[in-house]
Amino acid sequence: MSAIAWLAACGGDSGIEGGTKKQSKVIPKGKISDTLYFSNWPLYIDVDDKTKRRGTLDKFKKQYGTTVKYVEEINDNDEFFGKVRQQYAQGNSGGRDLHVVTDWMSARMIRLGYVQKLDKAQMPNVEKNLLDTLRHPDYDRNRDYGIPWQGIQAGIIYRRDKVKRTPKSVNDIFDPAYKGKTTMLTEMPDTVGLVMLGMGKDPETGSVDDMLAAIDKIDKASKSGQVRRFTGNEYTKDITKGDSWLIYGWSGDAVQLEADNPNIKFIQPEEGWMYSNDIMQVPVGAPHAFTAEKMIDFVYRPEIQAPIAAYVNYVTPVKGVKELIEKDDPELANSQLIFPDAETLKRAKIFKTLTPGDERKVKSAFQKAIGA
Amino acid sequence: MAALSQRRKASIPYLLLAPGFAWLLVFFAIPLYYMARVSLEEGTIDTGFRFTWHFANYTDAVSTYSEQFLRSFEYAGLATLLALLIGYPLAYVIAFRGGKWRNAMLLAVILPFFVTYLIRTLSWQTILDDDGLVVNFLQTIGILGEDGRLLATTSAVVAGITYNFLPFMILPLYASLERIDPRLLEAGNDLYGKRRHVFTRVTLPLSMPGVVAGVLLTFIPAAGDFVNAQLLGTPRQFMIGNVIQSRFNVIADYPTAAALSFMLMAAILVLVSIYIRRAGTEELV
Repeated sequence: MSAIAWLAACGGDSGIEGGTKKQSKVIPKGKISDTLYFSNWPLYIDVDDKTKRRGTLDKFKKQYGTTVKYVEEINDNDEFFGKVRQQYAQGNSGGRDLHVVTDWMSARMIRLGYVQKLDKAQMPNVEKNLLDTLRHPDYDRNRDYGIPWQGIQAGIIYRRDKVKRTPKSVNDIFDPAYKGKTTMLTEMPDTVGLVMLGMGKDPETGSVDDMLAAIDKIDKASKSGQVRRFTGNEYTKDITKGDSWLIYGWSGDAVQLEADNPNIKFIQPEEGWMYSNDIMQVPVGAPHAFTAEKMIDFVYRPEIQAPIAAYVNYVTPVKGVKELIEKDDPELANSQLIFPDAETLKRAKIFKTLTPGDERKVKSAFQKAIGA
Repeated sequence: MAALSQRRKASIPYLLLAPGFAWLLVFFAIPLYYMARVSLEEGTIDTGFRFTWHFANYTDAVSTYSEQFLRSFEYAGLATLLALLIGYPLAYVIAFRGGKWRNAMLLAVILPFFVTYLIRTLSWQTILDDDGLVVNFLQTIGILGEDGRLLATTSAVVAGITYNFLPFMILPLYASLERIDPRLLEAGNDLYGKRRHVFTRVTLPLSMPGVVAGVLLTFIPAAGDFVNAQLLGTPRQFMIGNVIQSRFNVIADYPTAAALSFMLMAAILVLVSIYIRRAGTEELV
């Protein structure tokens, strides 16, 4: 009988109450805990090649005595949302103290009241070292509910040995010469943003109609067979094998791909490139919220961030890291993929945060265009 | 005293059935009830979902996704037919000509199942590569054009489904063929039946339960499959399973996803019951 009662509790009206309900209570000061549950994406923190240990977490333990339970359980924003939704809605984090999700999903988490307000006084390194460009996103004006973990560039990855000329524009993906040899990302803001740039629209300020026009263009390219398929990270396989020649992809993957195959190259298109950030947040009901704040602050020390940045190859949101890396590895420090300079950053576009209604409209249209 | 033990005896079958019933209740009836309920809800993740007998979920889903529905049944039907054409001769050979190799051959049929479904499908990506052996060979003999490809086409998806569900066709076919008394075939030959006639008059009718079971076991999961279309196809090959996956996982539109699942189930149920009635298989049930 109890099993049935339990099932009944899972059902009901899908376990979600409506309305916007930001958490306004700040995480109270507490004691440093013995453990911390950190939920992150795969291959997103430094790992020692020999010992296979995660250096950052070892250093945290040395400093605070906390053993970090680091779980690589996030493969996709939507999938992760589906997984935690019912628990978070009931104020239960499922034991998690920190999760990392992309801008737009972090905006949704804030909107639904699934994350706690951070106490900035406990995070002096964040206050000091967070890049100025990232301090005031449109969905969280003062970064009260989340701090960037790493930044992602979406641009063009291409095969030097297959394309007829070096691509420059986001529109090169629509070149008939590459019919069936292109892929786009299933991550809506990246793909729609890049296509919008090619249509002369700004993804930071564009209207829903601009977005729908871009989606229409994507739909036509998919129906005509110009675009072979829409992928997450698995595009790395297609381009390595030569099944695709010119694609929309992410910088961090590209650094790795370029290292393995000199024919693969990433560019930031002339019209601009999409810049998004994965955000660390403390979910409601996190058992060790105070320690989670300490962890967020910890990775904002440049000397702690440097090995992470050097390992994962994404855009670090922490000031002072470039200077540290410059000493050991000047080539890495000059990479526009990891440390974009002011000139490159000027062309970076952050996709506009949509209202819930618009988000649903645009996402539905996009899903329809990419086949489902 | 006697009456009591009588009653106890009478209750034993029900007691034995209890675990099965409990299983069905907890893992079938109750989830089905909640799915039905969710499919009639209205709302969004922001406003919350409320049960309002919102039947429009069904009509909207049909009008929006009829293409993927039809495609699912088309691909599943094609794959089932192919599996039957490939599976029947194979099962026949194993059953009647297998000899001492019979078990080894059966093992070979089941062996791929020791590898997970996803990995098997992913390895088809490598087999069907644009620069792979198969494509190169087909280009050389002129079946595929210079720019032709297999991966990310309808053929790849149907081939993938056929491959993945083939054992579900072969095993029931084998089981029913193997049960056929060889003396009946001998009698057919002794009565001057041509080999073709012995097959169509004796072997085939006797193996019908296997054919029906194989067709059902292949068609039903194939119609709801989404892995093959996802990994071997493009959006132009997406089936209803892909739509349900995306409505549920990506858009968080649970009512539409539930309505689609229900309609898929109903459609399969209707097709299957028509088929069983036509094929007339008392032996099966």
